[in-house]
Amino acid sequence: MPDWRKLVNEHLAAIALEPYERAEVVEELATHLDETFLDLRGRGFSEVDAAKSCLSEVNDWPDLCRKIQSVRRKEDIMSNRITQFWFPGILTFVLSEVFFQLMQESGTRPWILAWGQPPIAMFYIPWLLSLPLIGGIAAYLSHRAGGSRRVALSSIVFPVPPFLAMVLLLQFQFYFSFREIAGVDIPVSLIIDWHDVQHMTALAFLSALLGWVLVPGAALLAGGLLVQLFASRRLDSRRIAGS
Amino acid sequence: MIGAGIKRGTAELAILSVLEGASLHGYEIARRIERQTRGKLRFTLASLYPLLYRMENKGWVRGAWQLSAHGRRRRCYRLTPAGKKKLSPLRQEWSELFSALRRLAKVTHA
Repeated sequence: MPDWRKLVNEHLAAIALEPYERAEVVEELATHLDETFLDLRGRGFSEVDAAKSCLSEVNDWPDLCRKIQSVRRKEDIMSNRITQFWFPGILTFVLSEVFFQLMQESGTRPWILAWGQPPIAMFYIPWLLSLPLIGGIAAYLSHRAGGSRRVALSSIVFPVPPFLAMVLLLQFQFYFSFREIAGVDIPVSLIIDWHDVQHMTALAFLSALLGWVLVPGAALLAGGLLVQLFASRRLDSRRIAGS
Repeated sequence: MIGAGIKRGTAELAILSVLEGASLHGYEIARRIERQTRGKLRFTLASLYPLLYRMENKGWVRGAWQLSAHGRRRRCYRLTPAGKKKLSPLRQEWSELFSALRRLAKVTHA
């Protein structure tokens, strides 16, 4: 039997992979040629014919080398992650923050939804209206870089976890400041019932969740999903045209 | 002429389908596809491995080295949960495409 390992090794000498990874590829391709050769011999092929048939499995070794290299290189996977997820995701977060700061500096007043005593939800309408556009940009960039639906979706809602973290942080501050007052400075129980404080905190948390996480998240998703739908329809029509 | 996307799509479907029932090494995958399609679809080494590695990157299949009964090391591929999930819509997509093409062909011949 020909030495397929030697042959594959020589042909893949220029492949730019880590040594262990290159050795794995060589071993796998050589095993494939071993199997092919033995199978053909078992089916009655002469040694020469079986070897010829094995050699015809690859017409263009440099092309195969390039293809394997581009698929297996970790940098390619990393660069896909960067272009499909990290870049659109971070851009979405930065843009939504910048829009919010600009709107605050321009003196835009929030629309306040109040129910009961302190729990209120504030909605910065111009900011919320800008979010579908930002979500759409993220979906477009991720889709253009070849990201799957799931990856595009993750990049669209990328700012939501930081928004949630901010709400939680503020909520903890709010809750513990009440506890501090109750324990150290003044007997709050005389002023306000502790149960009411906890109830108020929960309501404040829900209103903050609504105003700063759920509604902005939904706004980002609305724009992003619309762009995704449009992009996938275009892709489908291209596929049909291509077929 | 069949586009590269269509070709890759059919090849992916073929590989996922044969791996649905068993864990197979590269040569077995190629042989099984050839046998089951009565020679209509044939994978060479050059066409099979770049695709298998790509599908592995996508998380649809996973390869692992195993020892055969004869003591030979082979890299066997099996379907991952993501690959199983992918197979059903892919089948549906291709079935719809072939139905559409069949309908279109009938109209053309009439």
